[in-house]
Amino acid sequence: CSRLHNKPTISPTLLLSNMYQRPDMATPGMDLNGQTMDQKKIQEHFEDFYEDMFEELSKYGEIESLNVCDNLADHMVGNVYVQFREEEEAAAALKALSGRFYAGRPIIVDFSPVTDFREATCR
Amino acid sequence: DRRSRGSKRTSGFDMAPPGAAVVTGTTPGQLPGITQPVPGVFSM
Repeated sequence: CSRLHNKPTISPTLLLSNMYQRPDMATPGMDLNGQTMDQKKIQEHFEDFYEDMFEELSKYGEIESLNVCDNLADHMVGNVYVQFREEEEAAAALKALSGRFYAGRPIIVDFSPVTDFREATCR
Repeated sequence: DRRSRGSKRTSGFDMAPPGAAVVTGTTPGQLPGITQPVPGVFSM
């Protein structure tokens, strides 16, 4: 990847690092106890997470787009990208989320330079 | 609601890690869970 992954001082987009953990992250299709997991269950788990995110983030401004990486690779695993309409809204969300927890894990939040997700993929 | 489910489950926001409650309230410099020795009392 040849992109510069700089952290802007202000941006309408926030990156919440490693927020989403798939229930079958250890072995695809199985939960942590080695039990086979229904695809529907995994999807439902994801939707619950997405709903949590949307509900919480919409408190701080109008959400333009919300992207959750539910991949299993190491690269940007579980990253959540939220783009607000205004930079100030993103700044308010950043301030409000810093130092808090989600599902027992600390929330790592930063501004992200991404404003167009179609162009953002690293190759 | 977009899904026909019962009551909404609680959000994962502000769900502190287990053990976080132990850390809060301790005196700085004191390890949680370790009792201070009482002077003049031997433990065998």
